[in-house]
Amino acid sequence: MIQLNNIEKYYANKGIKNYVLRLVTTTIKKGEFVSIMGPSGAGKSTLLNIIGMLEEPTYGTYEFLGEDVTSLNERKRIERYRNHIGFVFQAYHLIDEMTVYENIEAPLLYKKVGSAERASRIADLLDRFNIVAKKDLFPNQLSGGQQQLVGIARALAAQPSIILADEPTGNLQSAQAEEIMTLFKKLNQEDGITIIQVTHSEKNAQYGNRILHIADGVVKEDITVA
Amino acid sequence: MFRLNLKIALRNLWRNKVSSFINVIGLAIGLAACLMLLLYVTYEWNFDKQAKESANVFTTMTNIPGDNGKISGTFEGSTTAFGPAIKQDIPEIQYTARMDYGAKNLIANGQNSFKRISKFAEPDLLKMYDYEFVQGDPKTALNNPNSVVLTTNTAKILFGSTDVINKTIRFKDRFDLNITGVIKDQPDNSSNKFDYLMPWSFYETIDERAKSLNWENYSYTTLVRLKTGANLKLVNQKIYNVLKKNTNDNYQSQVLFPLSALHLNGKFEEGKSVGGAIEQIYLFMALALGILLIACINFMNMATAKSEKRAKEVGIKKTIGANRGSLVIQFLTESMMLTFIAVIFAVAILEIFLPTFNQLLNIKLSMSYFDKGSWLGILGIVFITGLIAGSYPAFYLSSFNPIQTLKRKIKSGGLFSISLRQVLVVGQFCFAIVLIISTLVIYRQIQYIKNKPVGFDVNALVEIPQDGELKTKYDVLRAQLLKSGAVTAMFQSSVSLSHRGQNFMDIQWEGMTKPDNTQLFNQVSTTYDFIKTNGIKLIEGRDFLEKFASDSVGVMVSASAVKTFGYKNPVGKTVTVFGDKYHIIGVFNDYVWDSPYKSNHPMVVFFDQRRTGNITMRLNENNSLQSNIETINRITKSINPAYPLEINFLNALYSEKYNTEKTLGVLSNLFGGLAIFVSCLGLFGLVAYSAEQRTKEFGVRKVLGASVSNLMKLLSLSFIKMIIVAIFISAPISYYAMGKWLNKFEFHTEISWWIIPVAAFGTLLMAVITVSFQAYKTANANPVDALKYE
Repeated sequence: MIQLNNIEKYYANKGIKNYVLRLVTTTIKKGEFVSIMGPSGAGKSTLLNIIGMLEEPTYGTYEFLGEDVTSLNERKRIERYRNHIGFVFQAYHLIDEMTVYENIEAPLLYKKVGSAERASRIADLLDRFNIVAKKDLFPNQLSGGQQQLVGIARALAAQPSIILADEPTGNLQSAQAEEIMTLFKKLNQEDGITIIQVTHSEKNAQYGNRILHIADGVVKEDITVA
Repeated sequence: MFRLNLKIALRNLWRNKVSSFINVIGLAIGLAACLMLLLYVTYEWNFDKQAKESANVFTTMTNIPGDNGKISGTFEGSTTAFGPAIKQDIPEIQYTARMDYGAKNLIANGQNSFKRISKFAEPDLLKMYDYEFVQGDPKTALNNPNSVVLTTNTAKILFGSTDVINKTIRFKDRFDLNITGVIKDQPDNSSNKFDYLMPWSFYETIDERAKSLNWENYSYTTLVRLKTGANLKLVNQKIYNVLKKNTNDNYQSQVLFPLSALHLNGKFEEGKSVGGAIEQIYLFMALALGILLIACINFMNMATAKSEKRAKEVGIKKTIGANRGSLVIQFLTESMMLTFIAVIFAVAILEIFLPTFNQLLNIKLSMSYFDKGSWLGILGIVFITGLIAGSYPAFYLSSFNPIQTLKRKIKSGGLFSISLRQVLVVGQFCFAIVLIISTLVIYRQIQYIKNKPVGFDVNALVEIPQDGELKTKYDVLRAQLLKSGAVTAMFQSSVSLSHRGQNFMDIQWEGMTKPDNTQLFNQVSTTYDFIKTNGIKLIEGRDFLEKFASDSVGVMVSASAVKTFGYKNPVGKTVTVFGDKYHIIGVFNDYVWDSPYKSNHPMVVFFDQRRTGNITMRLNENNSLQSNIETINRITKSINPAYPLEINFLNALYSEKYNTEKTLGVLSNLFGGLAIFVSCLGLFGLVAYSAEQRTKEFGVRKVLGASVSNLMKLLSLSFIKMIIVAIFISAPISYYAMGKWLNKFEFHTEISWWIIPVAAFGTLLMAVITVSFQAYKTANANPVDALKYE
């Protein structure tokens, strides 16, 4: 599903290249649950952003679903956001002016899903995540864990084939974090959704079935979890 | 999607109350100004355009010859022979109608008598104005010489109803006329308004001059309707041929001009229209649009200042599949909605201030809520304003890159937008300062003209029109009034002191070098006590006196006339006017009549008892004003019972002369004030946001020991700098523009040096107050509150 070849990323500053990623080559197959780990500044988030097409690599090629997507124009990129990729952020990034219901509905509106279909999908998600009672609340009226649930529900609304999560539990207490990770595992195993997460926590990484260790921009280890 | 956008826009508005308030109020003021403009321009634009065929209707202009074959002046007027002659010779001409200029004349239903505006016209006038007949038949209404057509208003005043066909009214207390029609009142924006209309054929029976077909007396107007598709240029060429055939004029002395264009383009130079009232309309348009633009700039500035907040939203939306188009639409929806709310306020403001505005401009504008056009106009303005206000934020914000916004890397707008925001603020204040300086200069000019001596004491002078019996019984009136002690002196004259008399050029003097005179002279006819009553300074010679029988061939002339003649000792010298010789018996100082802004033509005052028109009296200042007026009223009524008495005070007549400029002054004052207000609103919003963004920085600085005044300076300085830049840009612009404006007047003040600093410091003060209010609030806040976050 994802094929990265010799991905490099650097920022040139006064003629000096500051490398963030160096010659990253890896393949991620459909249905995998990959955790990217490493110390701060190792390049984990940059790698995830490149996979999510939020950033372009300086060098190297990237194939997504068999197509070269190394440098896509905005229109084509957005087309992939609408149909294939769901993002989950550490800071949730819900839209403050929208209710829970509207936040989940937004991607469906952009995807131009019909209203009956929209309503049934949202009802389904609210039900599944036990947040039906909260649907008319605004994000600032929710706890962090609830906000992240909404964030995940929003990511799933468009029925993506892959979820990219950047430290999804970074702002949460451990009980809530566990809930989210269990949910991810369930989504991966029962719905077959490919998940790539960036995390600091060894414990969270264990929920997945593969761990990429990155340090100083280089993939040091690629471990399959039993 | 649209509904969601709308909902979110409303929530956004509600959440950011300060900025919403600033935007809505600013836009409402701008929109109200624009709507007012729209009403005013529609009103002015549609002058004489109400009739279906108005595009084919022309009026006749007369050119006055000047030196070297040039045309020195042009006025709306024509002769009695002109209309019939061109109608006969030029096939393109479909209808012609000769008219008089209209005058206030007595009309009575029994004892119920009023002075209302009368007009004489040929029946074809009804083919040019589509008067709507409430009663009577337009085809026959003006056929019989003894007929009259009333407006609805006149009919109601005289009879209390419009059902008055075949009733009789009495004109000028002498002629009984039969009412043959009642028309709907004419719209205010019509040049040829009247309260009652009488046939030209009747005019011919009561005035010999109207009956004779002559080519010299330009005291009438001639309206012409051309056949559709006729070429005006060609018709005027043909008119020239007709004129050549009938007169000795070797230039085009009369020419057709579109009637509906005359009102706005009434200024002529060398026979060509060179604008006129349309300049005022342009000015007014620029003012209203300027204010709206200032409000739009506020909106843009606030939106970009908030960009940090909105950037996150843009980033998120892009990652969940929003494309740029949908974001642009979302931001435009927001600005459109804001504008829509603002327009509701604007209509309310308009309704509240329209009466004042009408009074100011002396017009009758009103919102027509049931007219499709006005709603389309309003919606159009909302749409365009929303687009202008929303376009910059929409395109700017929607261009954000999602990853940068989500990482909070974006600096408050980036370098480009900051400088653009500064440019916009500077632009706003430039506009405001230019308006303030203009206001000051206009007021100074009015003051200057007002303080310029009129040339005589206008206080205690009153005048009454010489109507009815007063024409023949003037001597009786004079004797009784002088005896009563209410007046100390009085004279009759052909025109009021404050108005122009009749222009003429046929004058020759001793030692004249040119074969023909090209200087226009003004003539006034009077009888005894002209100087004694008005108190104009006599330089040489004497007033007309009863003991000198030879005074009927004597004239008094103005000092400027003596200068034109080149006489050293003018008294006793002669001038020849219209072939008759006159002796100069007195020379008086020039005084202000007609326009106070320019030096007037030289003047010749004749002695002529037959040319009546106006009676001027100097009140006895030993009695109270009220008793004087009562005495005059009683005596005049006893001599001339049919007419109501109209007393005009000369000081009032003179102060009316400043009205145009006063209006300009008030308008620029009003709009200047609004511009400053809206600009300061915007500045307030910007400072508030800047303060909000820098809360943390201020907290840190305070912990490190910065004082309140340090912080205030920090926050205010960048804004104050922009105002100073605006001052430096706008001062020379307004100096140049107002210098040009002043040069339009022959008599004008100079731009005093202090005007610019006063305007500059005034604006700066307003801005400092605005900024420091917010700055103080921020700087005084407890640093803990600021540092608690994050």
